[in-house]
Amino acid sequence: MRRRQGEAILIGDGVEIRILSIDGTRVKMGILAPRSVPVTAREIELVRKENLQAAETPHDASEALAQLLKALPVEPPPPAEPSVKSDETILEVVDLGEKKA
Amino acid sequence: MAKCRTKSHGEIEYSEDVVMHFSEGLFGFESETRFLPIEVPSLHPLLFLQSVEQQGLCFITLPILVIDPAYRLMLSPGDLELAGLPGKQPVIGEDVLCLAILTLHKDAPATANLIAPLVMNLRTRQAVQAIVCEGDYSHQHVFPASSPEAVCS
Repeated sequence: MRRRQGEAILIGDGVEIRILSIDGTRVKMGILAPRSVPVTAREIELVRKENLQAAETPHDASEALAQLLKALPVEPPPPAEPSVKSDETILEVVDLGEKKA
Repeated sequence: MAKCRTKSHGEIEYSEDVVMHFSEGLFGFESETRFLPIEVPSLHPLLFLQSVEQQGLCFITLPILVIDPAYRLMLSPGDLELAGLPGKQPVIGEDVLCLAILTLHKDAPATANLIAPLVMNLRTRQAVQAIVCEGDYSHQHVFPASSPEAVCS
């Protein structure tokens, strides 16, 4: 289906999608839908599902994580000097070597 | 010092000034607005993001530049505002911390979400899970397989 700026598409009874403006590769659309119909960008739904899956990681994933770190494309900098706390867990305001040299 | 029970690191003490504030939560976890960044020296540079309110919720993340040193962060005006960064695109490491959430899979390599990085304002600690508006990034970026036998050429 081809549409020009200002033209619209109807889906079923309640949903209207109108092409508001076109600027290069970006298209601005207006969507009219009943409250019962959720309207979200596709990537938001992808990210929501990905977050839910990421949160399913088992309690102790240290081994899998150690393997993963070996696969990193760059050599990670050495661990920062522990600031406080136990040997295992350190909480600190993060500064993970992303600063420019 | 407040205390927080964590998913995998026991009970830890923290001060308020290390808390990351996601005013809108994360996608799928809209009510979780406060997270603690936890670093485990043996797993550097991984960073665990533990929900303050929900013990069972902890994300595993990596600084995005560790995964892709050429990563270009382009935030929408809405995400810039949520991170308290009006006006211009932030510089990773100077203005913001930028993390990618990792997903571990049972029989496949881990993946990183490069479409929706966690961006935290380093000055105010306001944070947002952004949806990047430019660049051809994947929400399931596959890590290269580790290959200790790799030959240098």
